[in-house]
Amino acid sequence: MIELINVTKIFGNKTAVNNLSLHIEKGSLTMFIGPSGCGKTTTLRMINRLTPFDKGNIIVNNTPISDIDPVKLRRNIGYVIQEIGLFPHFTVFENIAIVPRLLKWEQKKIERRVEELLELVTLDQSFTKKYPLQLSGGEKQRVGLARALAAEPEILLMDEPFGAIDPINRLKLQDSFLEIQEEIKKTIVFVTHDINEAIKLGDKIAIIDKGNLIQYDGVSQILSNPANEFVENLLGQDRNIKALSLKKAKDYVLKDGFITVLDTEPPETIKKKLEEKNIKIAFALDARNHLKSRYLLEKATNTKKQKFIHNPAPWIIERQNNINETLSKMLEIGEKQLPVVNRKKEFVGIIKLSNIFEEVNRKEIISEE
Amino acid sequence: MNILSYYFNNFGKIMSALEVHIFIFLIALTFSTVIGIAISIFVTREGRKKIGRIILSIMGAAQSVPSLVIIALIFIFVGIGIKPAIIALVIYGLVPIIFNTTSGILSVRQNVIEAGKGMGLTQNQLLWKVKIPIALPVIIGGIRSSSTIIIGSATVAAVIGGGGLGDFIFIGLKLQKPEMLVSGAITVSLLAIIVDYIMARIEQKVVSKGLLIKKT
Repeated sequence: MIELINVTKIFGNKTAVNNLSLHIEKGSLTMFIGPSGCGKTTTLRMINRLTPFDKGNIIVNNTPISDIDPVKLRRNIGYVIQEIGLFPHFTVFENIAIVPRLLKWEQKKIERRVEELLELVTLDQSFTKKYPLQLSGGEKQRVGLARALAAEPEILLMDEPFGAIDPINRLKLQDSFLEIQEEIKKTIVFVTHDINEAIKLGDKIAIIDKGNLIQYDGVSQILSNPANEFVENLLGQDRNIKALSLKKAKDYVLKDGFITVLDTEPPETIKKKLEEKNIKIAFALDARNHLKSRYLLEKATNTKKQKFIHNPAPWIIERQNNINETLSKMLEIGEKQLPVVNRKKEFVGIIKLSNIFEEVNRKEIISEE
Repeated sequence: MNILSYYFNNFGKIMSALEVHIFIFLIALTFSTVIGIAISIFVTREGRKKIGRIILSIMGAAQSVPSLVIIALIFIFVGIGIKPAIIALVIYGLVPIIFNTTSGILSVRQNVIEAGKGMGLTQNQLLWKVKIPIALPVIIGGIRSSSTIIIGSATVAAVIGGGGLGDFIFIGLKLQKPEMLVSGAITVSLLAIIVDYIMARIEQKVVSKGLLIKKT
């Protein structure tokens, strides 16, 4: 839990943050958004005392941070910045192990933790020996996240972590970041200037302008109820479509209407199984639950006979894809249903076009006044 | 062939001069390195960036002062002998070390320092675990040029009684004995080349491989 109470920061004769109060709940992902120079980064940096504040106070887990030694405070708060700042002379392992080593963890425990973290951010164990200069932007960002999480801090501060990543990889990183957060449930404060990112990732959004907190609310409340013109402009014209993006593929995953088989089973057996159960689709998985192929039993147009089709590499939807992305993919490739996988590429179920439409029809996603 | 026969006839003398030369060099380099790095750390501490920049420009200018000037000044103020010679060499050898160490530490990227601070590294940990290791290739570069300069200038320091291989060169010059002069010069040059090679090997050993990777 983080509580900002009437926090003010003055640089020279400019008030960077003006009397800002904010309550950030435990386990929530709070987005700070606003134009550049609005004070969002300054506010973030005051939480780990990288920037001292002039008035007010900040309380972290019931202790005013002015009572905590800055070094101690920072070791208990993960910190990720846009340029990541990996140490170029350290390997990936050493980078992730920095804080645990400062805290004098046992070597065995550190090794286990690094292994665990690489798995969490879906990087292969072979990365431990690589140096930052050998990594791509997305890989660096994953290592940066793993490093920030190393000593199991309860709080994570992220300053435009995906800002320097190209748009396609940014979407992927956002998806896996959301899944990671689902797993670790940290209290995260995340600074961004991208409203789509704020809507996609945030539980709550704090909109800041010229050092003042303009609106602080849940994402759907902000979309349906912008506090003033500034917020409306920030959200843009397509608020309804943005609201659609709040829904994720995972909200529509179905666990029936198909069967799963092992990819080692012969097609004949699979066909038999489908006919017996009167089901049209089978997904072949390997031992690690990775989707390998799809079998379809389809009615041929002219005859009464059924066609048995095998697709070796079927299209997939990721759990964290939002409904906009999911719909456009399904419409583009003309499939009425697609398999859904998680970030580790494990099969989790299917998603049906008809099912999404039903849901969208049943209730408007946001209620316009 | 004059030179060769001179060299073998006076091998013992040349070797003892070489010993003195190496002794002067090692002492001067050790002092220059320790003092130079300490000064650089002092001027690059948080909030002293301005002093650091000023020191950088002073050192940049000082690099163009001839060693003879320093040696002559030390002679005037301290006198004659091996001690004044070493003092002059320490001062002269400081210049590249301070220049490189200061600029190396100041050019560590800000985001790396920010990340370190944000993770809870203390000032000292930031210095010894982050700034110095990252600046190490540049720092060692400074120690390397300092070595070359000290070995070279130590020959000049012979004029104020420093001893070493410089004696062969200056006496050879005075007595118009080219074989004597060349013997001294060749030995000094070999010493400089070997020391530089050793330094290069040390650099390879201590600098992190992560800093030497070329981006593809």
